[in-house]
Amino acid sequence: MADNQEQQGLVYTNRNSLMNRLYPLVKLAWVFVIAIGLFIYKSPISGAVMFVSVLLLAMLAGKIPFRQILGSSKIILMLGILLMVFHFFADPGEPLLKLGPLTITDNGLYQGPIFFFRLSVVVLASFVLIWTTDTRDLMVSLTKVGVPYRGAFAVFLALRFLPLIQREVDAVRAAHSIRGKSTSSGLGHRFKLWQRYIFTILINGLRKAETTATSLECRAFGLYPTRTYVKDIHFNPWDLVLIVVTVVLSTGLIIIEKVI
Amino acid sequence: MAEKKSGWNFNYTTRDIVIIAVIAAITGVVNTGVGNLWYLANTSLGPLGGALLQGAFMWAYILAMWLIRKPGAALIVGIIEAVTEILLGNAAGIGTLGWGLTQGLAIEAVMAISNYQKFDMLTAILAGAAASQFGTLWTSIFYGWDPAYSKDVWMAVPINLISGAILSGLLGYLLAKAISRTGLIRSAGR
Repeated sequence: MADNQEQQGLVYTNRNSLMNRLYPLVKLAWVFVIAIGLFIYKSPISGAVMFVSVLLLAMLAGKIPFRQILGSSKIILMLGILLMVFHFFADPGEPLLKLGPLTITDNGLYQGPIFFFRLSVVVLASFVLIWTTDTRDLMVSLTKVGVPYRGAFAVFLALRFLPLIQREVDAVRAAHSIRGKSTSSGLGHRFKLWQRYIFTILINGLRKAETTATSLECRAFGLYPTRTYVKDIHFNPWDLVLIVVTVVLSTGLIIIEKVI
Repeated sequence: MAEKKSGWNFNYTTRDIVIIAVIAAITGVVNTGVGNLWYLANTSLGPLGGALLQGAFMWAYILAMWLIRKPGAALIVGIIEAVTEILLGNAAGIGTLGWGLTQGLAIEAVMAISNYQKFDMLTAILAGAAASQFGTLWTSIFYGWDPAYSKDVWMAVPINLISGAILSGLLGYLLAKAISRTGLIRSAGR
């Protein structure tokens, strides 16, 4: 069951791949470099090249099975296609085809794929980061570049609380169902139900926050300017090759766009 | 809950940090669900569709600011909440951080104008409306809505403002007030 979840979902798995071994902050910076490039590209071909590059990187260097990539990206690809179709009609240009009150323009046909690739590649790169990076390692690497450990701890704590909250949502929903407040009702009723769920979950969550804060204070959390970690991570300058290659590829694509 | 409290106090206690983390985690779960509805509306109907639901994302930023009452609380919740959304599979990936930043900054801007002293309903409504519109700035950049030729971007402004004022500002304020009355948060309003 757990294996199946790991195969299908958006969870970190240590596959001992090249991407697994990279320094977390390098991977985070890589996602930003990819995103910046996609905001600069003016041609859908550049977006397509990046899409294929990230996909190959995920499969070859990250050892992520294609089925898992497809399973996690289905919604994104669907939204990307919707966004592309919206641009077909919304962007001004020479009319090519009239569909009732809507007109497909030549510029829309060109811009649509640009935005499809912008959305899908940014998300795919983020997924690669999630699939190959332990969040604890990411937090430790952030503190090493000067992020206050109390701040990094807040992020880590939020992630630690996530499964508890998801379980709490299920428990509150089940409790309401037992009392006859079914979730398979109309939209208005569902909205009211969610209002109740959120308030209950908030109150329970804040109660846990109070006890957690007291426990941390009892252990003198925040007393020293730095803290130690059970598992330390180390930066290898060779990891920067990923960023250098991506910058070279992105710059090359931008130059080609300008020349052609 | 006191309506006024002065303010440029950056001394975050451990309790503040944990409350921020919990609120961010809860909002991350809720907003990931609401986000899927929003993406559907935004990508198929454009800026007008997105504007209807845009205000539904920042109630927790207001809640955190009203409970903690320190500069940066809304921005920090925005960033951490965005990180949790990314990890939960938000359909914008790392682009989610853009909303966390812009929406959080908008609330901080409104609170800074009030010198972090006014914690009344009107300020919450203004902060919610501003956050909603600031978030839409990032949406326009990310989704390529160009205000120069897309009328919808301008027509969406009043819808955004109303949506943010009610779904984030008013809702966040009422939630903060209700939670404060329960006495659960010892630091609330202090």
